[in-house]
Amino acid sequence: MARVAREMVEKAGVNVDQLIELLVKNAAAELTTYYYYTILRMNLIGLKGEGVKEIAETARIEDRNHFEALIPRIYELGGELPADMKAFHDMSACPPASLPKDPTDPMAVLKVLVEAERCAVRGYTQVCNMTVGKDHRTYELAVAILNEEIEHESWFSEFLGEGPSGHFLRRGDTSPFVGKFLQ
Amino acid sequence: MKKFTLDELRRCDGTNGRPALIAYKGKVYDVTGSFLWQEGRHQVLHSAGADLTDAMADAPHGDDLMERVPVVGALIDD
Repeated sequence: MARVAREMVEKAGVNVDQLIELLVKNAAAELTTYYYYTILRMNLIGLKGEGVKEIAETARIEDRNHFEALIPRIYELGGELPADMKAFHDMSACPPASLPKDPTDPMAVLKVLVEAERCAVRGYTQVCNMTVGKDHRTYELAVAILNEEIEHESWFSEFLGEGPSGHFLRRGDTSPFVGKFLQ
Repeated sequence: MKKFTLDELRRCDGTNGRPALIAYKGKVYDVTGSFLWQEGRHQVLHSAGADLTDAMADAPHGDDLMERVPVVGALIDD
């Protein structure tokens, strides 16, 4: 644990135990999403499905990166991950991104994907709101993740025909915002 | 539609097998089956068995999400 770092956050008025619990729940959401997106991606086939597969894969890898980036901050603040993987899954901040009833329907898969991203956008907005001006390190991390989650939501939303957002697919490395936390 | 006093609502906090109910703008919603309300807790900060009308202002979502959970009653004055 980074004792003084935690003290500074507490002194700024953040309930650190609540914050840690939120971070662990969001880390669980990222890792479970990585798992469920693996299954969704495998089912994105056919003329329509193949067109979505690449962004689903990028979102999958970036969600795993978010998990990796969150863990050091949880431990710095004095938190830890549950020893039981099932307990970790069940405490996720977002519901499982399970395959839709008809896994051959790319639009149904896209709806699962966009709902998962929207849950993440809400979750990191909450973390940002709790930490802004108080816990600079967690805030910067949460903002970085939020930027990527918003782009994921935009990609899937565009495929669903909800209107333009102006975002291109990734060019170059994944996680342009979170990458610096993965060094 | 069943009417709940605040005292009755407080007892439906989602713990120990009790249903998880919340009130919002005078309606009582059943969130027992929601993944996001396990054990009557929601995103660390909120607990079932309460009137969360005022909390919505700070929530990272709008009240459109309330349409996803069933209304089971109305909140009345004690």
